[in-house]
Amino acid sequence: MSTSLIELKNVTMKFGGVTALGDVSFDVKEKEILGLIGPNGAGKTTVFNVITGVYQITSGEIIFDGKSLAGVKRYKITKRGVARTFQNIRLWGDMTALENVMTAADTHKKSGLVSGLFGFPVSRREEKRDKARAQELLDFIGIGEYSDRLAKNLPYGVQRRLEIARAMGAEPKLLLLDEPAAGFNPAEKVELAATIRKIRDAGYTVLLIEHDMSLVMKVSDRVVVLDFGQKIADDSPRKVQDDPRVIEAYLGVPEDAS
Amino acid sequence: MFNLRDKGAEIWESQGRVGRVAIAVGAIAIVAALPFMGGTFLNTPVADYESVLVYPIAMFVLMAIGLNIVIGKSGLLDLGYVAFFAIGAYTMGLLGTKTELNTWEILPIGIAMAMFSGIILGVPALKLRGDYLAIITLGFGEIVRIVALNLGALGRSEGIQGIPTPPGIFGIEYAFDSHRIYYWTLLILILLAIWMVRRLSARRAGRAWESIRQDEDAAELLGVPTFKYKVWAFVLGASVGGAAGVIYASKTLFIAPDNFTLQISILILACVVFGGMGNIWGVILGAVILGYLPDRIRFLSDARLLVFGLVLVLMMNLRPDGILPRKKREKAIVKKDAS
Amino acid sequence: MVGTFATIIIIKDVFQFTQTSEYATGFRLWLILGTALISSMLVSGILSMLVEMVAYRRLRRMNSGVLAPLISAIGVSMVLSESVRILTDSRPVASPRAMEKKFLGQFFDAGIRIDNTIIVISALVLFGILITFVNKTRMGKAIRAVSMNPNAARLMGINIDGVISATFLVGGLMTGAAGFFYTLKYENTSAFIGFELGIAAFTAAILGGIGNIKGAFYGGLALGLLETYASFFLGTQWKAVTVFVVLVLVLYTRPNGLFGEALTQTRA
Repeated sequence: MSTSLIELKNVTMKFGGVTALGDVSFDVKEKEILGLIGPNGAGKTTVFNVITGVYQITSGEIIFDGKSLAGVKRYKITKRGVARTFQNIRLWGDMTALENVMTAADTHKKSGLVSGLFGFPVSRREEKRDKARAQELLDFIGIGEYSDRLAKNLPYGVQRRLEIARAMGAEPKLLLLDEPAAGFNPAEKVELAATIRKIRDAGYTVLLIEHDMSLVMKVSDRVVVLDFGQKIADDSPRKVQDDPRVIEAYLGVPEDAS
Repeated sequence: MFNLRDKGAEIWESQGRVGRVAIAVGAIAIVAALPFMGGTFLNTPVADYESVLVYPIAMFVLMAIGLNIVIGKSGLLDLGYVAFFAIGAYTMGLLGTKTELNTWEILPIGIAMAMFSGIILGVPALKLRGDYLAIITLGFGEIVRIVALNLGALGRSEGIQGIPTPPGIFGIEYAFDSHRIYYWTLLILILLAIWMVRRLSARRAGRAWESIRQDEDAAELLGVPTFKYKVWAFVLGASVGGAAGVIYASKTLFIAPDNFTLQISILILACVVFGGMGNIWGVILGAVILGYLPDRIRFLSDARLLVFGLVLVLMMNLRPDGILPRKKREKAIVKKDAS
Repeated sequence: MVGTFATIIIIKDVFQFTQTSEYATGFRLWLILGTALISSMLVSGILSMLVEMVAYRRLRRMNSGVLAPLISAIGVSMVLSESVRILTDSRPVASPRAMEKKFLGQFFDAGIRIDNTIIVISALVLFGILITFVNKTRMGKAIRAVSMNPNAARLMGINIDGVISATFLVGGLMTGAAGFFYTLKYENTSAFIGFELGIAAFTAAILGGIGNIKGAFYGGLALGLLETYASFFLGTQWKAVTVFVVLVLVLYTRPNGLFGEALTQTRA
């Protein structure tokens, strides 16, 4: 049995009177692909937000790689090994695809402003290394030819994949993908599923939010279901699909029965 | 519309190394020769042409480059930039009149003082955003001026007089009315500033600032230490402003709080926006035009500020992105990193 | 909006010149005061609308960000104040005394003068009207809708241009009134006072929290009190410094001003 990379223990997140997450506990094992599903408003993106430090949880614990994430600054959380994509694309449009990924890769640089200014060897080395790595990642995701295009000029599908490449640029152990297939046609979704598996096989752990049931079921090793901020299921895709509570939460037909 | 920036970039990129050096040297030579062109149509009525070249033009250019780091690159609205200029100037004033140090020795001190105040302002202020940041920086600028106005040690409203001019270098005299020398000194500082900004832009700092400007929250979530780099932007901007202040004080011989008003902060801001935020050449061009214009149109005498205001309104409405907009060219590769 | 405040800055440059020049005492006084106030408000309001149409509308359409309108506003400010300056030959203009500055009585140690009373009461009345306008009328709701979500407002059939014009009109009206009060009390004016008062207005708005009329009210109140107490205890020269220090402290504990709504939330 492999170890948990990240564990949410009794996590509650309240905003004023609203309980976005109520006593949610689950873990993601190393090198696994965990699908996080649930109807709209169930709290899935909130899970991402509390993991990445956008919000501080009201109660409970989040343990990542053996250490608690309580009170840790957001960029430090990223440095520890968590990176995410965004549901509504949030690329830096005026920068090229390559620069977008390189900015994420800067997370782990030892050299900073001063060494960059004076051209210290460590800075030059790291810059060269990260630039090559960024190109590598773009190639890995299949958009290598767009590396010098401005992010805002890229076609939608390329932008979505750039989001993923950028997150990978931060060399995370845990990759959070927030609805990566939104707006994709069926063929693109199949390609995406293959990409996600490729990512996992390259050594990353993936936590995936998606609405497309067939994609989630095809790609995930395990599925966690949220509804109204509560976890209602945590099992293999097969079992979750047949779980009556899950079916009830969705009121029947999944969005995309492709 | 004819895109100056793209045309310029095109020409630049089509050259090999030798070509580029030649262009750079040529451009610098032309700019350096400006003081000799007083006899041409460039001349400014009333004010002495060469004096105008130094202040406001060269000073504005230098300060605009500094402010561009803060506003243009990082997207931080700073309405109190004149404070750093003032701090540099008063450092020069105080140390120049009270100690034996000369301008060149005071210059690093002045820059350090400005950078230090950049930290003092930045650390609290940069926790805020948008309009709130703007008003705090505006307040800071005013506070510096008011403190200068009221502290006996700083001369109150009479300011500081008798500030020494820099000692000669290589036998060149720095008399207060030999504007050319100051101009060329400033030119060197400007070139240094340009070098600094271009270097940083191509590296981690530049990417950090850009990402902060475009989407600060996303940047933080992807590992950019946003606070640190915002403060850095302030500090570097301040250093340039402080340097300009030191030279200003040692040229004009006396300084007073009235030299460091909010108007100047806004004027430099106008240079940056007018010229094209984020684009260092645009900003330089903007500063040259806005620094030059009021003196060039003195023949309009009383109405010249009015015309100046009209120019601002017109320009912003016709080209809101500035004369040389930031828009990056696709083919311009991330460029000269490995060197 | 920064633009609105910039406009206020420039409008204040001009408001004062709408005073009628002949005054009398007696019951005709109220008529004259009233006319002066209304005309001052109207001129400022209309001017404000014109400025928006000329200097900002195009930028708004082009979605140019926040700095381009700011610079444009500065340009407008220069145009207006310089025009006035040229017309007045750079000298302050005295306003004839409109009325006796009678004392109405005592309130503890403070004397109550009639002009101050008029100003305070009128300001409260105007404020009351403004609050009602923003909260209860259709146009008021439209304004709030546009400020919260312009796209949604447009889709709901709201005429954005009209709403923006109305906003500037209202801003101008208020500023014109402020100008009237100023001249009533201080009896002189020049082309240069707009700038300083404009900055004060901006500061008051930030202090109270942008986006909130009630906040602006308390912000203005707080600012006025702050300035006065600071002048009294520390001397007038430290007035501005105290104000800004307090501002920083307030923004620290309440980053959106005393009553402000968070305009920029961390999005995720």
